[in-house]
Amino acid sequence: MSEPEQQTPQPPLTYEAASARVEEIIRRLDSGEASLNETLALVKEGKGLIELCASELGAVGNALEELRLDELVSRLESEAAG
Amino acid sequence: MARPSPSASSTLAIPESPLAGPFPVGEYSSALRSKLRSFARVQIVGELVNLRPSRTRVYFELRDASGALPCAAWRDDWERILARGGEAPCEGMQVVVAGGCDYYAGSATSSPGFSFSVSDLRIAGAGDLLARIDRLRKQLDAEGLCEPQKLLARPLVPRSIGVITGEQGKARDDVLAALGRRGWAGRIVWGFAPVQDRHAAPAIVRALGDLAGFAQVDVVIVARGGGSLADLLCFCDETLCRTVALLGVPVIASVGHHTDRTLLDDVAAVSCSTPTHAAEAAVGIDCGRARGDLAEAARRLRDHSGRAMRARAELPRAATRLRENSRRAVLTRARLLATLSRAPSAHLERQRTRLHQQLREIRAGSHRRIDGEHAVTTRRALVLERKADASLLDCRERRPRELAQLALALAAHDPQRTLERGYALIESPDGTALTSAAAAREAERLRVRFADGVVPAQVDQR
Repeated sequence: MSEPEQQTPQPPLTYEAASARVEEIIRRLDSGEASLNETLALVKEGKGLIELCASELGAVGNALEELRLDELVSRLESEAAG
Repeated sequence: MARPSPSASSTLAIPESPLAGPFPVGEYSSALRSKLRSFARVQIVGELVNLRPSRTRVYFELRDASGALPCAAWRDDWERILARGGEAPCEGMQVVVAGGCDYYAGSATSSPGFSFSVSDLRIAGAGDLLARIDRLRKQLDAEGLCEPQKLLARPLVPRSIGVITGEQGKARDDVLAALGRRGWAGRIVWGFAPVQDRHAAPAIVRALGDLAGFAQVDVVIVARGGGSLADLLCFCDETLCRTVALLGVPVIASVGHHTDRTLLDDVAAVSCSTPTHAAEAAVGIDCGRARGDLAEAARRLRDHSGRAMRARAELPRAATRLRENSRRAVLTRARLLATLSRAPSAHLERQRTRLHQQLREIRAGSHRRIDGEHAVTTRRALVLERKADASLLDCRERRPRELAQLALALAAHDPQRTLERGYALIESPDGTALTSAAAAREAERLRVRFADGVVPAQVDQR
């Protein structure tokens, strides 16, 4: 018996892909051509994507964090040694 | 070298030292200058780098693979060299300089310095430096090392950006300001490194490795504020370029040189002219505006969602309406079909009725006509009958009278009556009346008719 083919994991959705899909969804909804079921499915998908985009933007929207590479390296090296 | 005389402070000498002195430094430096100036004046060939004109002198260096010499020319000499025309000496050129060693002895307030005092200069050709860079560029390109960085995916909104630049340079401020304008406030990992001397390339290579390995950054900016080609030589370092080409993190180069492209520009994912542009390339969108757009998208999605939910709630009522409408539609159609199916027989009936009507009219018309004709004919028959009666009366009474009168008139003209009165008629033998003597002579034989009979006669021709 042959082994079942392993599913290739989907790459994580990027911000640009998610925001492009949101625009596409809104265009489709604005067109008024989507059926009720399709509308509900698109709204659900759109909400998930907006949450993803919002979390991406939120991650770079709170406060600038500045680190020095040399300090980071020495800290990590000391942690590894310790 | 003329030995300076020991100073009065010879008591300060280091005990046990076999060397002469101590000599005052000004005295010694003057002697050194004299010694250096006594060296033979010569011509030297090398690559011109680090050209720095000042108000009175023009400073530069001559370099080749094994050494370098600081040079200085007085402004007057430099202007004379330029006034000869032709190409102006500039960075990277191979030049021949003429002059001799010189030494500025300095003073209590100024630093001393050695330089080769240049009195003349000639351009020997494009420098080895540029040719070497060009050879390396072709080699990297041939090995396909200009491509891998450009194939790396760069996130539109990186969470973590590594920046390699000089700690004190203006590039740092420019990057921060540009990221601020983008509305980006993520994590910056500063990899400070020298960006223009011979230590620069190894330090940058090390920082790149550390950024990629330790800091897990999404994108790396290598930035400096600009400089001469000689200053940028570290960005043409082969090890640095190979490291960047094979790095798994996209590198944005911004080494600030408009005219000469460094090899780092070739192998990097993106090459920008300024640190500001590099920061804008690292964060591909205006995050502030994107947040606004996202809020708008969420609002519209909510609107659509609300409408869809209301529509779903309306569904049962709509289904009822639909059912009723469909029943009405079926009934209407059925009625229409029944009407249509009756239409031909109704049409025939109408036509038949019309034909009967016409038939009746024709019959009535013909009867009327026949009666009329009959009356006319009867009247005519009556008239004819009356006329016939009248004509019969004529035949019976008037006609015999008229006939008798006619008979009388006719009898008056009858030759017989004339014969009866004694006249005779001469005829030819065949009975034709002869009315002239010539005709009688010609006939020879005659018949003379009297009232009571005929007598033959013969003409006497004498």
